[in-house]
Amino acid sequence: MANVSHDADHEERVVELHLPSRLGYEKVAMDAAASIARRMGFSTDRIEGLRTALAEAITNAIEHGNAHDAGTRVLVILTVRPSELVVSVADQGCKPIDQSQLAPAPRIEDSFARADKGGWGIWLIRELMDKVEFTTAPTGGNQVRMVIYLEKQP
Amino acid sequence: MLDDELHVHIREREGVAIIDLVGDVTTFAEEKINGAYNEVSRKGARNILLNFRQNDYINSAGIAILIGVVTEVNRNNQRLAVSGLSQHFQKIFRMVGLAQYIDIYQDEDEAIRGLTAAMA
Repeated sequence: MANVSHDADHEERVVELHLPSRLGYEKVAMDAAASIARRMGFSTDRIEGLRTALAEAITNAIEHGNAHDAGTRVLVILTVRPSELVVSVADQGCKPIDQSQLAPAPRIEDSFARADKGGWGIWLIRELMDKVEFTTAPTGGNQVRMVIYLEKQP
Repeated sequence: MLDDELHVHIREREGVAIIDLVGDVTTFAEEKINGAYNEVSRKGARNILLNFRQNDYINSAGIAILIGVVTEVNRNNQRLAVSGLSQHFQKIFRMVGLAQYIDIYQDEDEAIRGLTAAMA
């Protein structure tokens, strides 16, 4: 499931995880990312934030992008650089990301009146990570690229 | 293996209905949490404590379930508290705004003291 490569010239270490599109498998990636972040020297608080952000990105990919299709995978790439950890999550894009979800913060007061009380995932990713980009993956699916910087410790 | 069951247990202590939540709070938890809330409400609970244990994974689907409970608690004039949350999830609860509607305590004993004092 995991593929590790090391490009010595760029001082970059890359771990790839290919996850089944089934809820629960995000926990494998959360543990892997936390393990790497801990070894890089990130604080517990930042590692917990990374776990939450990654969980949201992967569950979005499973539920929306891949629409729970058992024939699809979610690709998680963890790139270790000297001063940052880059995490990208790509689905196989049966369904594009709802752009309205990329809008400003949801309000809990609005949730009380709505039947669907969700919609916090992308907002949480943006709050917890230092840099977040939503793009199209080379395979045509959705891709979320998240970065946390080592120097930005609380 | 990975779609872990959440273990939910209901008990009562000093007039507080305690719902123990052991495990992950994700989309799989909806039926169990809503079922437990409905059960204690049916029995007339006014003060409810969600006692979290070993919850190293609460995601936005879990947060949506808890917002649903808060919606009902507000509608039914009940009081809701939580205990046992890690520092990270206490932060998430504050970020989302849940902390405005739920009293957050570090542990069960502190929560019982707080809720019974509010009842007196």
